[in-house]
Amino acid sequence: MSTVPAHHDPEIIANGAEVLANMKELCSSLVYAALLTDDGFEVAHLPAEKVGDNRFASMASSVQALSDAVTRELQIGLSSYVIIASDHGHVIQRRVPQHPLVLAALFDDDETLGKALSISRLSAERMSALLT
Amino acid sequence: MAEHVILFAGPMGAGKTTAIRSLSEIDVVSTEAANTDRETSDKATTTVALDYGEIDLDGLEKVRLYGIPGQRRFDFMWQILKERAKGMVLLINNDAQHPLQQMLEFLTEFDDLYRRGGVIIGITRTDVTTRPTVADYAKALSAERPDLIVPIFTVDPRNADEMRMVLMTLIVNIETRESFGPLEASL
Repeated sequence: MSTVPAHHDPEIIANGAEVLANMKELCSSLVYAALLTDDGFEVAHLPAEKVGDNRFASMASSVQALSDAVTRELQIGLSSYVIIASDHGHVIQRRVPQHPLVLAALFDDDETLGKALSISRLSAERMSALLT
Repeated sequence: MAEHVILFAGPMGAGKTTAIRSLSEIDVVSTEAANTDRETSDKATTTVALDYGEIDLDGLEKVRLYGIPGQRRFDFMWQILKERAKGMVLLINNDAQHPLQQMLEFLTEFDDLYRRGGVIIGITRTDVTTRPTVADYAKALSAERPDLIVPIFTVDPRNADEMRMVLMTLIVNIETRESFGPLEASL
């Protein structure tokens, strides 16, 4: 990865937008998704026309770090993904393998959890492949 | 055993995580991420959720130490942790771009914590730059917030003795106010 922060790197931003767009094609129940740096800066988001205020990215960064802290404390290895289930959908987030990036996505309740997990995993792996 | 929850607040790079690591008697729970904002602070990692440590004071009081992220984009963590805190150690790095302004902004943000508990200010990195002085901070505080009575120290977050003195001063301050009631705004 280049030394330019990911959220300022045009290539990474373009790759992120492409991965998120592909995610939406695979899954119509995707409401919102963001690619963010570990320290909570938004790299890309979807839908593109929605003005991101970085709030979702900041919160996803904190949640990711807290889940990592829990798995570290319990000595159960690395956290694979985080699920926040709610009445009207679920948030799934996971790290982009080998990169200090997190993919976080909100799915509505039309989606099965299994499919949402699968799509988020494939998308994170795709993002990793594009950066490598 | 009495318990206190103390917040460590202040801008990115002020030394909050270091201070908690100096003080804590347990392994500190940290939530650090790679720092991509090197313009604000040239350090490798930054706290993105919280730091947590504990210290036992003479077997009589347990102090839970919570460090919050310094960046405003994490202010939802400020709200979550502020609600359970009794007091705050506000650390301001003297080499910040606008340290006096930073101090005043954090005091405003955590005003309710001052009202119901107590606040103490620690000026860090005075070995890097000697100005502004403690007198400058005190002058800015009395000019902009004459309603606040807040002790100001210079402190090295790496020094456990210094941090313990700051912490004890804050706790005595909180307990005194609990005994005699909250300070009136006009004091």
